[in-house]
Amino acid sequence: MSDAKKLSFEEEALPHLDAVYRVALRLSGNEAHAQDLAQETMLKAYRSWSQYREGTNARAWLLTILRNTFINEYRRMRRAGPTVDVTEIEAFTVFHDVQDTDPEGTFFDQLVDEDVLRAIDTLPDEFRETLMLSDIEGLPYAEIASITEVPVGTVKSRLFRARQALQKQLYDYAIEMGYIQKPELAE
Amino acid sequence: MTDSPQAIDCQEALERLYDYLDGELTAVRTEEVREHLKSCAPCMALSSFESAFLRFLEARTRAQSAPEELKRRILQNTVFDARDR
Repeated sequence: MSDAKKLSFEEEALPHLDAVYRVALRLSGNEAHAQDLAQETMLKAYRSWSQYREGTNARAWLLTILRNTFINEYRRMRRAGPTVDVTEIEAFTVFHDVQDTDPEGTFFDQLVDEDVLRAIDTLPDEFRETLMLSDIEGLPYAEIASITEVPVGTVKSRLFRARQALQKQLYDYAIEMGYIQKPELAE
Repeated sequence: MTDSPQAIDCQEALERLYDYLDGELTAVRTEEVREHLKSCAPCMALSSFESAFLRFLEARTRAQSAPEELKRRILQNTVFDARDR
């Protein structure tokens, strides 16, 4: 590889390693696998760097490689944990429960990173993946659609259900921990 | 479809809420949601709650970065790989 190509890889691809690692961690559910998956993704990207068109979206390109590598080589290794049911979700339910007691959702502030990551991990694969790409990595719908190979409408409906399911999980956990009272128990 | 903003109802505003908060709407559609929220306190309250939740989510999940050792290993196997020179 020419020095110019190496330099462009270093400048355009490597800065996205944190994003690649974060997504790998949530996909694989395990730090050792996440490191292997992130490394393999970056090596594959390096080997095919000549196919990358400079100035296009390197992060989306890397995340596509990551996702394909995960599906082909790692998915079977993911331990199947409990998964939350998202099929019933159709409305903004948590807000309706807390609008009189905590309309600003200040109870969320009592939850720590680990609580949130654990809750994200219980989302079904395709919902977890969509939520990560949108809400953790900040990708636009069109890019998520391209990476996950579904129409934009599917991205939107998955995102809605994933966010609401996550909110509900965290709300239930906050009740359990006593950070907020159930509406019927509140004064 | 006309290009000037039209009045929308609560149902329409809620259907578009995440698109609005995610910055996925055109300028005209954004303006329609914004105008509705300004005049409808319940929708505005929901919008503020959802917006706060999204900020919370980002704040609680972005702290993780790749371990230094992994970064070093990747650099050694890519741009600093002697066999590649």
